Amino acid sequence: MSPDGTIRAEHVWKRFRARLGRMLMRDQLAGIGDRVRRSSADPNRGWRWALQDVDLRIAPGEAVGLIGANGSGKSTLLKLLTRVMYPYAGDIEVKGRVGALIEVRAGMHGDLTGRENMFLYGSLLGLGRKGVAQKFDEIVAFAELEDAVDRQVKFYSSGMQMRLGFAVAAFLEPHVLLVDEVLAVGDASFQQKCLDRMRAVISQGATLVFVSHDLAAVQSICTRGVWLTNGMVARDGPVNEVLGDYRQAIEKRVVLQSHADGPVRLLKMEVAGGDGGFPRTQGPLAVKLVAQSDDARFARVSIGITEGPPTPVFVISRDLNLAAGQTEINCLIPRLPLARGTFFVWLCFQDRDGRELLSWQPAGQIEVAGPVLDFAPRAVVRLAPVHVEASWEVGR
Amino acid sequence: MTDDAPTTDAGLTTKAVPPPRARRKIRLSSSLRELWSARELVRTLAERELRARYSQAVLGLAWAVLTPLVLMIVFTLFFRRVADVDTEGAPYALYAYLGLLPWTFFSSSVSLGGQSLIQNLALLNKVYCPREVFPLASVIVAALDTLVSTAILGLLFVITGYAPRLTTLWVPVILVVQLAFTLGVAFTLSSVVIYLRDLRHLLPIALQLGLFATPVAYGIDAIPKSLHVLYSVFNPLAPVIDGYRRTVLFGQAPDWDLLLPAAGTAAVVLVAGYLLFKKLEAGMADVA
Repeated sequence: MSPDGTIRAEHVWKRFRARLGRMLMRDQLAGIGDRVRRSSADPNRGWRWALQDVDLRIAPGEAVGLIGANGSGKSTLLKLLTRVMYPYAGDIEVKGRVGALIEVRAGMHGDLTGRENMFLYGSLLGLGRKGVAQKFDEIVAFAELEDAVDRQVKFYSSGMQMRLGFAVAAFLEPHVLLVDEVLAVGDASFQQKCLDRMRAVISQGATLVFVSHDLAAVQSICTRGVWLTNGMVARDGPVNEVLGDYRQAIEKRVVLQSHADGPVRLLKMEVAGGDGGFPRTQGPLAVKLVAQSDDARFARVSIGITEGPPTPVFVISRDLNLAAGQTEINCLIPRLPLARGTFFVWLCFQDRDGRELLSWQPAGQIEVAGPVLDFAPRAVVRLAPVHVEASWEVGR
Repeated sequence: MTDDAPTTDAGLTTKAVPPPRARRKIRLSSSLRELWSARELVRTLAERELRARYSQAVLGLAWAVLTPLVLMIVFTLFFRRVADVDTEGAPYALYAYLGLLPWTFFSSSVSLGGQSLIQNLALLNKVYCPREVFPLASVIVAALDTLVSTAILGLLFVITGYAPRLTTLWVPVILVVQLAFTLGVAFTLSSVVIYLRDLRHLLPIALQLGLFATPVAYGIDAIPKSLHVLYSVFNPLAPVIDGYRRTVLFGQAPDWDLLLPAAGTAAVVLVAGYLLFKKLEAGMADVA
């Protein structure tokens, strides 16, 4: 017998209907006729594989971050672990009590008060009335709902609902805590509180599986990363390595996806460091743009550097006049404040009133050479991979 | 989940051969054990349904009583005039009400229970629990409503001055048949409706017809005697209602020749319905 908190998934497959009809009788009847006619055809026709041969073993006390693009199978895997869904093939075993927070309003009934919902949710998670009653004050205090606990949940803000759901799931002393992209609803201070609570749950020996697109949060809390792509495990290893690979991959994909079509078009962009080589930390970075405009117009150009998602580390802007036809724009950053890594250059043109002439989009990729970013202490979310020069003196 | 173009970021290609589909084993005993351990959840869900219903409605509990009461009055005022019903000396109001109680219980169990999974899709898709708790909670709510309506029956006895017979002691036996059949139908419908959503619109019509296909307003004697057994097999509620009338009003034992076939049907419907439910349960979150 494996100890409580163990998660074991062996050769797990899961498929969904590619076109999930309307689940009406006539559709199903039509489907039967279809099946009879093509009885020898591929049995997987019309199905889409969400998970393919996923193998995952998680020991008690591990904190695993599950990352991957939309539709890569993260939520499906989590639902299989909670037993909400059943695998097509393969074995799944989750030992111990599972606290799962799959979605904000999961298990909440709008017509009931926060207190009543707490007991409902508690019994859904397998905890009796007594168990919830014991933890009641703690849960209410954590969720900061002292004034609202006897109000109907439909009058709660979405942040309040999330706080209630998270507090109940996290205070049930679960052996396994599964959290799916829900923290984004809370404000910054509550997010931090949730991350702290998750850490406390882990330190008590529980297992955490955390699904999030907030890579910084994943990095700050998880020790192991599992990257799913197309329903398969692409990487499984220490969180920093897996996240590094993942960041590079999403940037490459973004390049392939960008198109430009509008009043202003980007013809060319070149990015280079000093002497035309790789840009270096605290070294120069030259960006050369060639833009084409239908007629002469005012424009504000913004250049942003991102680490993957469209949220930039920093943005620099400049007002300028575009000629009819082509305009060459050169921008020089004398001292690039980025640490070593792969970054992406995003770009946007706006007119005087802030309307977009060319929407915010990725235009190129840079590899920055230089010192590796210092690791943030555990429990701290680092926002920007900025390299700051510092001199230290340690004395007595 | 959104459709996603095949990703080759990590250099992975689609695996060629999926393994054969794994068959989920359904064990009646372990399913029932799990259901028993979720009894507190059933209670909470039933409480939730009651509270959510009555926190909005001014009349509160009166709603529960209203359906059989209004139907009883309608039957007494109109149906009675059209059709000649032999109540063997018992007041027709009592006779009709005694048929309406099990029928209303069945009808609201089936319509509440049949929709219970659809209405809890948000929960079904996110939290694990044995899924039969939802139709079960609905049937419990319907049973509580019926219990309240039964108080009215006591009142009717007082008003009409007609006393229930000693054979009323048979009622628990008949009740078992009624409960088994009602639960079985609720399990079956709730799980099938998830996959055939338009069945939901058919349900009220079917129940309307069922009210007249069942001896609620009339007696089982309206059917030719030679067909009674067949009728009881296909509609176990007929001998159930007939049984209540015989025992409570007429002081007779239940008609075993009819009640036993009905019990057989009820048992089959309950077991088959529960097994079907457990079978369909696996895919519910996939189509939710």
